[in-house]
Amino acid sequence: MTLSTALRTGAALALVALVSACDVQPQPTGPNAAGGPITVTASDTACQVSANTAPAGNVTFQIANQGSKVTEFYLYGEGDRIMGEVENIAPGLTRRLIVEVAAGGTYQTACKPGMADAGIRGTFTVTGGAAKGTDANTRLADAARGYAGYVSSQTTAFADETRKFADAIKAKDVTAAKAQYARARISYERIEPVAAKFGDLDPAIDVREADLRPGQKFTGFHRLEKDLWVTGLQPDSPAIADQLVTDVTTLDQKAAALQLSALDLANGAKSLLDEVATKKITGEEESFSHTDLSDFQANVDGSKGAIQALRPVLAERNPPLVSDLDGRFADVQKLLDAQRAGDTYKLYTELSPDQVKQFASAVDALSEPLSRVAEVVAR
Amino acid sequence: MLFSSLLIGLREGLEAALVVSILVAFLVKTDRRSALRWVWPGVAVAVLLSIAVGALLTYTTAHLTFEHQELVGGVLSIVAVAFVTAMIFWMRTAARHISAELRGKMENALKLGPAAIALVSFLSVGREGLETSVFFYASVQTAQGDTALPLLGFSIGIVLSVALAWLLYRGALRFDLGKFFKITGILLVFVAAGVLGYGLHDLQEGGFLPGLSTLAFDASGVLPETSWYGTLLKGIFNYSQQTTALQAIAWVAYVAIVLPLFLRPARSKNPSIPATAEAKE
Repeated sequence: MTLSTALRTGAALALVALVSACDVQPQPTGPNAAGGPITVTASDTACQVSANTAPAGNVTFQIANQGSKVTEFYLYGEGDRIMGEVENIAPGLTRRLIVEVAAGGTYQTACKPGMADAGIRGTFTVTGGAAKGTDANTRLADAARGYAGYVSSQTTAFADETRKFADAIKAKDVTAAKAQYARARISYERIEPVAAKFGDLDPAIDVREADLRPGQKFTGFHRLEKDLWVTGLQPDSPAIADQLVTDVTTLDQKAAALQLSALDLANGAKSLLDEVATKKITGEEESFSHTDLSDFQANVDGSKGAIQALRPVLAERNPPLVSDLDGRFADVQKLLDAQRAGDTYKLYTELSPDQVKQFASAVDALSEPLSRVAEVVAR
Repeated sequence: MLFSSLLIGLREGLEAALVVSILVAFLVKTDRRSALRWVWPGVAVAVLLSIAVGALLTYTTAHLTFEHQELVGGVLSIVAVAFVTAMIFWMRTAARHISAELRGKMENALKLGPAAIALVSFLSVGREGLETSVFFYASVQTAQGDTALPLLGFSIGIVLSVALAWLLYRGALRFDLGKFFKITGILLVFVAAGVLGYGLHDLQEGGFLPGLSTLAFDASGVLPETSWYGTLLKGIFNYSQQTTALQAIAWVAYVAIVLPLFLRPARSKNPSIPATAEAKE
């Protein structure tokens, strides 16, 4: 046995220790309700825990032994399963314990002065039930699945409302069709980035006259919008309406089998806001009906829905970003609420240039944190 | 405040130093000083690794999950038991040859691989190194803010344990070879049994083995670990005041099997047959 073999064997064992040290995880900032570690003041007769609840995830305890005996601190789960422990907390010493608590529920804290008996117990509640830190992928997958459910419910509603819209067109009931137009579009505007994944369906359903390529037929919602508000219903309007229903039904079927990634959600949330900034704030989307604010609201809803699905992940990885987003969404919503008219919104043409500018700056302010979501999700 | 930290330092230090001191005495007694140079790298690697990982866990936001912490302690302990057991039987072989006055044969029998020596040293120190180093940093941090007494106590305890281990080593050297082998061998049997029980207990705490709450006995009233004698017992034999049934069974089984094997009379029929070295790797 040579020196090098000996050292190799030693190194291999050292690696065992190091490999197990490789599961060290970054501690999320502000893991506890109080934003800092939960302090535990231990003495020979008492065990004061500064908070008796914390959100699931990494919970940090800071134990100060002010007694005269060596103590231990435990967090127990069901049936006294040890979730985490610190031994050898000598008198006068402060020690840290980080416990990963994945599941919400009732736990018990315990100080054991003299390291004996069952200890001085206290009930500790863990709220929520974030997946384990090591299972970030599971959580992202959950978010994507949750949002896919949202998308599919929207496409179904979209198909139903579009059928009503088409029926009104075919019945030549212009008033009813006009009223139904914005309503039918809401579900679509909420999930537009997803719909854009289905190749030609999106342009067939939603192309604007200004964006037509040479030789492309003007179909879909905006063609009917023009018929209703500008030219009056045309001989081929019912056929266009039927085609629209077919396309929307196809979209609904495809959406049911949709596989989304968390990154799709993040990018979708952002592109919905870009839609608002480029098409709705400018009044370009609904150039005949001027129902842009209704679409605007739907885009914001969809964006918010995606962020909502990602919230557990974002809250763990970047809490300040979450509160930033919440604040900005609220600002935009406040402006929208001011423009309500009955169960819908004022027409774009009724907005003053100042109001448009307000909308633009609120949307810009929201775009900034939204553009950082993808990066947080991807890491 | 000072005393209880001192006891912790003493206990952790003894756990690490005891086997190492016996190993060193063994090598010195058998004129294998050349092998001593394998002891210190093992000790040094264990100490440095513990210090590095301890610092990482203390001064960065990194942390080890509780399960992994227990897994490291438990597995290293059980590996240590295997190596110490091997050491016990090397000693027995040595003792046999001593009684047969065959020094030359002993040379052959004692071909301890350098790696084995380095590993025994590494495991003895590394087993509890992580927990000890984290404790050390905690007392350093406390010393910066509140009071230096825990740090002082801990340091004194460590120094004391090294001193005790050295005394043991000096004392061991005074025995004649046959006696030395017998005494240290028996001592090591009980040490290893304690380490085995301790390792299993770690694995129970981590939830890898069942029966954590099934106690064989609870002597925290009669023989508390926090007393100086409890500390010595824990440091040397890994006594624990609350012993689980699994721990107790493992301890008894180990002693019941290894001790008779170690003490069984050597076959004096044909002592000229060279014993094969179990240490060949």
